[in-house]
Amino acid sequence: MDIDLHESRGAWDSLGLENPATADPARRTLAMKLGRALVAAVAACTMASLLLVAAPQQAWAVPSFARQTGQNCVACHAGGQFPELTPYGRMFKLTGYTIGERSLPLAMMAVLTANKVKVNDPAAGKPEDGSPIFNTASLFVAGKINDNMGGFAQITYNNYDSQDPNTNAWAGHSGSDNLDIRYADRLIDKHRDLIYGLTLHNNPGMQDVFNSAPAWGYGIVPGSTGVGDGATPMLDGGLGQQVAGIGAYAYWNKTLYAELSGYRTGDGVFSFMTQGNGGQNYIKGTNPYARLAFTKEWGAHNIMLGLTHLDVRQYTDQTNLSGATDHYHDNAIDAQYQYLLDPYTLTATATDIHETIDYGTAGQASDTVDSLRAKASFTYQAKYGASLSYFDQTNTLGADAKGWTPEVFWTPIQNVRVGMQYTMFNNDQAGANPNAKDNNTLFFYVWGAY
Amino acid sequence: MKTSTITAVLAIAAISAGCTTSPTRSRNLADHNVPAKTLAQQVCSNCHGIDGNSVSPNFPKLAAQQEEYIVAQLKGFRSHRRADPEGYEYMWGISRSLSDAQIKGLAAYFSAQKSIPPGPGNPKLVAEGRKIFESGLPAQGVPPCSTCHGDHGQGNGQFPRVAYQHSDYVIKQLTVFQRTNERPDGVAMKAVTHSLSDKNMEAVAAYLQQMPSK
Repeated sequence: MDIDLHESRGAWDSLGLENPATADPARRTLAMKLGRALVAAVAACTMASLLLVAAPQQAWAVPSFARQTGQNCVACHAGGQFPELTPYGRMFKLTGYTIGERSLPLAMMAVLTANKVKVNDPAAGKPEDGSPIFNTASLFVAGKINDNMGGFAQITYNNYDSQDPNTNAWAGHSGSDNLDIRYADRLIDKHRDLIYGLTLHNNPGMQDVFNSAPAWGYGIVPGSTGVGDGATPMLDGGLGQQVAGIGAYAYWNKTLYAELSGYRTGDGVFSFMTQGNGGQNYIKGTNPYARLAFTKEWGAHNIMLGLTHLDVRQYTDQTNLSGATDHYHDNAIDAQYQYLLDPYTLTATATDIHETIDYGTAGQASDTVDSLRAKASFTYQAKYGASLSYFDQTNTLGADAKGWTPEVFWTPIQNVRVGMQYTMFNNDQAGANPNAKDNNTLFFYVWGAY
Repeated sequence: MKTSTITAVLAIAAISAGCTTSPTRSRNLADHNVPAKTLAQQVCSNCHGIDGNSVSPNFPKLAAQQEEYIVAQLKGFRSHRRADPEGYEYMWGISRSLSDAQIKGLAAYFSAQKSIPPGPGNPKLVAEGRKIFESGLPAQGVPPCSTCHGDHGQGNGQFPRVAYQHSDYVIKQLTVFQRTNERPDGVAMKAVTHSLSDKNMEAVAAYLQQMPSK
């Protein structure tokens, strides 16, 4: 099997970004002094302070959307935490990003990070371990086009895109990131409410409006440890920024959401959706994705229960596009609960994906990849927040991983978020250290957007 | 380029070119030609409900609200005169480009809707709240709410309807009046709420949410 295309896909791989903490097969040494971590934290705090001074008092997760609606980030994002959508945020996206008035559709985002692995691998240690780094920067072109169309396209510069095998020096690179362009209409009166539309996007699941979609729900800050070296299914970012997808969707009476999308290799005229993300991943023909979700809102509560199916045929030999294919069958069940009442927000999500891989190579046994991820996040006054994530990756690929990630974060103003995560591995079969706990990683980030 | 690719691109281009804006289904908040009813249905309903009976207590119920009061609040948001946090976080942007005619139309739309009670409250609190609503708290200098808001909480012109309002929303606004100057048009409420305890607010809010109303 072609494990290079399948293993170790953390949530940010799905965004086309390489995780500095896990990009290297081995991890870094404990010989790094504690002082370096301290310096990292102080330096990052200094940068955060500079951002605070420089930032105006109004900006948002995708700030150009907020300039379009004139609203604060908390209108669309629960407690102001990107990217967890509120019911209103979901409606904004489903109606094609068209609420509001057309404005300059430009926004930007930058992320500074620092990470510290418990036991480093001296042979392949990364120079930035324990040091603050400028991780990624993104430019968004996002906004309303007309009363039925809108979208967003993200271009991301990854400062740690690739490493020179001889000097270990990192090189930065820009590439297309998330993209979603929509056409939507809404038929609404007292007796019915039907939103329907079309979406053109480049990552199965990123068009979804629920926080339990793998593209949005878990480890969303660039550089997050995610599931470490655990294998994740195709639905969890395996085709991120590699494909072009067109989908049709409908949301009926704020109760039932249904979508059917098809994905093909993002080459030719669609290559603008996949540029700059390394080698192209070739899949055969049109690959179907189906989504069904039931939603209910009462009082300050809302829930969602959903099903997803993705079927992908990926060429076994990526240089032979008339040859055999590996067939990935993904089925997922996911759920979400939200409680939103000022000044508190609580969002809980769970996503269980089962994947079977039938290989194109004659005689090769099938593999299975299971992924269970869950997260609960809490905010107070849209300033103080905490989250707890759980992951359990079980598969026949020899890349199981299981663990927890507690996180605390602070959003002093809505432009800036400062957070700290600690990922604790109970199992990390493919990790650098045989003892899973030695791969535990502390991760600090400063996120800013304007 | 494959035929399927060309077909897909042409399909998207055709959809893009063919989709003309329908003023009856627009979500454009800067176009004064969009009817108020359309904005109420396409935009306002997301939080306040298609009939003004919001589901979430974060957002006030607007059904059967006094028309004059809605007009004053929308103009207050538009001018930034009303500056409570939820007001500026949500409503400054929504209202910034509305015309006076659209504001009047929105007020007419929501005031014509039928208000539905969100649900019963704690009976003990409700009884306590009823006393405050009908008789006030003379010892604390709190007048009866019914004096301005009507015997049935139905409101009167600039005095808002409070019957069937979400209790969480009522508590939030009473707190805004009592502790801030973020709603200067409600300055009368600052004096009224001055000596209300948190418990008093909870009680009167519980009563308003389920009070018998006309």
